[in-house]
Amino acid sequence: MTLSLVLSLLALALVRGTPILLASLGGVLSERAGIVNIALEGEMTAGAFAAALISFFTRDPWIGAIGGVAVGAAVGFVLGFAATRWRVDQIVAGMGINLICTGGAAFGLIFVFNQAGVTPQVPAINQALWPLVILGILLAAVLQWALSRTPIGLRLRACGENPHAARAAGIDPLAVRLAASAIAGALAGLGGVFLALGELNLYSDGMIAGRGFIALAAVIFGRWTPLGAAGVALIFGLLEALQFALQGNIAWLPSDFLQALPYIAALIALLGASGRYRPPAAEGKPYP
Amino acid sequence: MLDAVDLTCEAGEIHALVGENGAGKSTLAAIAAGELSADTGEIERNGRIGLVHQHFALIDRLCVWENVVLGREPRRLATIDRGAARAFVRDLGERYGLDVDPDALVEDLPVGIRQRVELLRELARDPSILILDEPTAALSPGEVERLFSTVARLTQNGVGALVITHKLDEVFAHAERVTVLRRGRVVERRPVAEITRDQVARAMIGGDIPSIPSHQPTNGAVVVRVEDLAVPGAIEHLSLHIAAGEILGVAGVEGNGQSALADALAGLTPFRGTIDRPAAIGIIPQDRLLEAVIPAWSLVENAMLGRERAAGNGSWRIDRAAARAQCTAIVERFDVRTESIDAPLATLSGGNQQKLVVGRALIDNPAFVIAYNPTRGIDIGATATVHGELLAARNRGAAILLVSFELDELFALSDRIVVIARGALRGEFTDRHFDRDAIGRLMVSA
Repeated sequence: MTLSLVLSLLALALVRGTPILLASLGGVLSERAGIVNIALEGEMTAGAFAAALISFFTRDPWIGAIGGVAVGAAVGFVLGFAATRWRVDQIVAGMGINLICTGGAAFGLIFVFNQAGVTPQVPAINQALWPLVILGILLAAVLQWALSRTPIGLRLRACGENPHAARAAGIDPLAVRLAASAIAGALAGLGGVFLALGELNLYSDGMIAGRGFIALAAVIFGRWTPLGAAGVALIFGLLEALQFALQGNIAWLPSDFLQALPYIAALIALLGASGRYRPPAAEGKPYP
Repeated sequence: MLDAVDLTCEAGEIHALVGENGAGKSTLAAIAAGELSADTGEIERNGRIGLVHQHFALIDRLCVWENVVLGREPRRLATIDRGAARAFVRDLGERYGLDVDPDALVEDLPVGIRQRVELLRELARDPSILILDEPTAALSPGEVERLFSTVARLTQNGVGALVITHKLDEVFAHAERVTVLRRGRVVERRPVAEITRDQVARAMIGGDIPSIPSHQPTNGAVVVRVEDLAVPGAIEHLSLHIAAGEILGVAGVEGNGQSALADALAGLTPFRGTIDRPAAIGIIPQDRLLEAVIPAWSLVENAMLGRERAAGNGSWRIDRAAARAQCTAIVERFDVRTESIDAPLATLSGGNQQKLVVGRALIDNPAFVIAYNPTRGIDIGATATVHGELLAARNRGAAILLVSFELDELFALSDRIVVIARGALRGEFTDRHFDRDAIGRLMVSA
């Protein structure tokens, strides 16, 4: 293998890994605040679809990008609201959001564009691809630092470990969890924007393809730390890149198997991680 | 829970609030500290009231200084000034004699130190009154002394301390005033100097301490026979027998094979050797929450656990009415204080939960009873009830294996005591001739 081939492989790994990375950072934030976030998939879908839709109508991809992030945040807010104010089971709420978002996007395609499966081509921000990759990595470092060193980081962790103790210290766990869930939605939404307007210039059904769940695996395998999750997300990106590189080069291996590679890796990683890593103590538990 | 309670705590005093389990002490503390709200009435606070919880409300996976400064972090620009936070914890610790490493992770600390962390956290908020809810329940005697010397320092600095306890030794050694709560009402309040220990105990229970039935000599037939029992890693070559109408006490330091012995007798662990015992057996397990009850279930359901067949009168379905009647029988006979038999068990105090567990084990008059630390962590009144019922079961002809880490309990109840150390019996004391020193020596023998 030549050096240039390795470099292009690594570059592809960064690009493929970034949407997973962004969503996993959201996952880390909401889970450290105490909300199980299996809605990352739905939030990415909502972000990607909204970004393409808004970009199509405004003809301004930047407004589309901001809109995608905002819609992701709104979905995250709904999850947070259901989990905190209504005390809905977080897994059920997250699953519901995933179904509504994927179904809603498929419905929206027919309703708005009168065609199933894919939007027309829309104005994109392909030039922002690499800045977004770098932003994601910087964000991981900043969040790592903020969680351990800032008052808001300490309070967020306290809410995920023992919301009753946080309450006794004058913190409002419901507000913290709601905010964390909304920010998580925004980050996952940005991951969706990256796919729809950064890498491509459209939204198509199934384009998220389980990346939200892979991000969740990255959260767990990264031990609920921003840098850990980011690192694992980029490894998943590398597996996707490898799959691209090997496609068609190994005749005896079915291409379906190669495409399944990142998912198989996520499964194996989770099997290895299960039981060994401890999630935040109050994660998934409604408060009060 | 509480009915027309009034209470004052003054600056610089140690005020003891005593009462049995379920009397409403913890509820009162939570209301005073503002964690719960009362239906009627007023609370006047001059300054902040801090509450040190019975089960420490710390965040296990944060370090000490993070727990202490949470919510009021010292800052340097946008970040926490960690140096200042550590220094703050050290200074506060020095001032009150609460020595803790600020960087230690709370989950790594033993209970005595955790309590110091919780005290520090409350002291950091400059309370004018500090409420300590059963502060000595999990402390060793040395730690108890240390705690009260800290409390004394607090009161010298003008802080009022309200100590919730049911240990009368502590009241008379340290407090200036005592308030007795019974079933949600104040029944006694006086300076400690003007009241006797007996008066306080009677006020708590609302009468005389129930007397324990006397021991009558037994010569019943042997109903439990253990020959050459071995449980890998815990017990080797252990033989014993228990007669009908006999309480066999097992003395020993925790972790010397008692659990394996009880589990083998209960049929919960594989073993080698022979165990001959009646099929009808009542078990009071060592860990209430882990092995005895399901806290979220109602009293009726918990009373049925393990006795579903009895509750079903032999039928394939559960007879709800019969189950309720049996639960009511347990609640009445064993004095379980609850507002309803349909309430979740978790709403009861520990002592009342334990009385239900004991009642469930004894209500069907089993021929053999395993009682493992049956009164651990419960108060005088509940302890007396449990002791009385165990002796009554013995007098009805039950064979009872009593494992206890409290020698006083073994001496009060046992007909015979065997000493277990390193998984084998090291000595036997018969005819209630118990030699405390000899037993103590055998307990640590190898």
